[in-house]
Amino acid sequence: MTTLPPDFADLERFVPDWVHADAPARMAKRQGSTIADIKAFYQAMLPRGEAVLACLRGHQLGDLPAEVETLLRLMLMLAEVAPAVEWYDDPAVYDGFPVGRICYTRLISDTGAQA
Amino acid sequence: MNELATPPVPGIGLTARYPEIDTGPVDTAIYHEPAAYAKEMEAIFKRSWFMVGRTEQIARAGDFFTYTLPTFRQEILVCRDRDGHVNAFHNVCTHRGNVVEHRKEGHSQGLFMCRFHGWAFDLKGGLARIRDEEGFFGVDKSCNGLKRMPVGVWQGFIWVCPSDEPYQSLEDFLGEQGRDTAGYPWGACTQSYQFEVEVDCNWKLVNDSPAEVYHIPVLHPNSAAPTMMASGNIMGRLLGTEIKGHHRTNSHYSVMGEPKPVQKLAYFHAAAAQNVAVDDKGYELPKGINPTRSPWWTVDLIQFFPTIGFTLSAGMYTAHQVWPLGPNKSLYQQRVFVRPAKTAAERFGQENTMVEFRDVVMEDFSTLERIQRALDTGQIKQFHYHDHELALRHQHHVVTTILAEWDREQASAQG
Ligand code: FES
Ligand SMILES: [Fe+2]
Repeated sequence: MTTLPPDFADLERFVPDWVHADAPARMAKRQGSTIADIKAFYQAMLPRGEAVLACLRGHQLGDLPAEVETLLRLMLMLAEVAPAVEWYDDPAVYDGFPVGRICYTRLISDTGAQA
Repeated sequence: MNELATPPVPGIGLTARYPEIDTGPVDTAIYHEPAAYAKEMEAIFKRSWFMVGRTEQIARAGDFFTYTLPTFRQEILVCRDRDGHVNAFHNVCTHRGNVVEHRKEGHSQGLFMCRFHGWAFDLKGGLARIRDEEGFFGVDKSCNGLKRMPVGVWQGFIWVCPSDEPYQSLEDFLGEQGRDTAGYPWGACTQSYQFEVEVDCNWKLVNDSPAEVYHIPVLHPNSAAPTMMASGNIMGRLLGTEIKGHHRTNSHYSVMGEPKPVQKLAYFHAAAAQNVAVDDKGYELPKGINPTRSPWWTVDLIQFFPTIGFTLSAGMYTAHQVWPLGPNKSLYQQRVFVRPAKTAAERFGQENTMVEFRDVVMEDFSTLERIQRALDTGQIKQFHYHDHELALRHQHHVVTTILAEWDREQASAQG
């Protein structure tokens, strides 16, 4: 069974581990992963980024088919891990304040319509 | 992006424009001494206004939210009544002191009912109903409503004052800086992410953190620095610092460097370039924003003394708020405000913005508890401020001046 739009079957293998329900869960996933695993995900996603966004541009928030929702959540995870790869070469902020101490108190819905 | 490719590196000379502010090293005592903190509580915090939310959070009559003011440990209830007014109350039941409304936010049909014994208060705070009233001994409902807390609205932000009699009005508190930054489309950024974190440091260090960019090339070598330094501003200088009474604004100079790959996706394919310069923003900036009217302007840090600042660009802003919890303990809140996304692609752009701001602040905050330890152990007794660390020097100047004035007031009251 596939959970992504047919054009993105190549990313299917990342769905079980890299799709998370909200920003705090994505942050925890990044902090709990090795940089090697993060890089494997990042390097597979990055070359597909433009195609994924072209697909996502055609879908309005609040009206996302389930497989587009899953594809969006993969991209939101890419946003979460990008600094780990591009800035730090480490899941954590290099020499930074421990991000695990922060607590989210207000979230933007991943999929809901915005006004 | 602007076509003027080679902006001049800003010069030295910001501090010299404010001769009342000294240029020597400053004493660090106010950053850690309990006695100084106790005085700040009386002379500064009890006399200030505190932002607690936005009017959009209580758009309809009956909408409400509650909050515990971290510095004061006071329970508050903020709601909109049927006349459209925003009211703030002490969220304390006049029967025996339980919180009246225990939920964080929601909608009330018109009554807030205490979940202890069921006393009920209306949207104007009036005591509407006492359960089994005949068992009481003549409690006068007309004078046992919820106690009001002074409240005001500026540009859609809701502010409260923890003292029954505000030392000054919200308008006077915000002053010239409030007037000069009104008119920015504050309400257009309807979406926000917020996080909070307790940091073991003095509240002033939290304010200092974004208030200078001297550190950017060193502390943010891969994240913020490439943008700021792309044009040769290798020392990380500001366009300017404007001082307005107790408040201040830093203007940031930068041009867009080469974005990182995921930034590129966000900026060019997901309409997320909200945090970079734009020429065509579709509105006129008020005069307090980009006050030097530089074509290389990207971001202002607009600090309202003592506890809130906004990192603001043409398309979005981030509120930095600090709640003092002790001489060396603070609660920091970051709320990133962005414009609404229509498509799923734009939603990715929002996430990129939030993650970048969060991680850059985590870089900044690496320093705070380290500095505080040096303060608490007496290992650092003076700070030296660069010309472009004027905002920090100004904060020190303002606090020192207020505390000296407080000492004089106390002495003459006793004398
Ligand atoms: S304390 Fe609220 S009804 Fe008793
Ligand atoms: Fe910084």
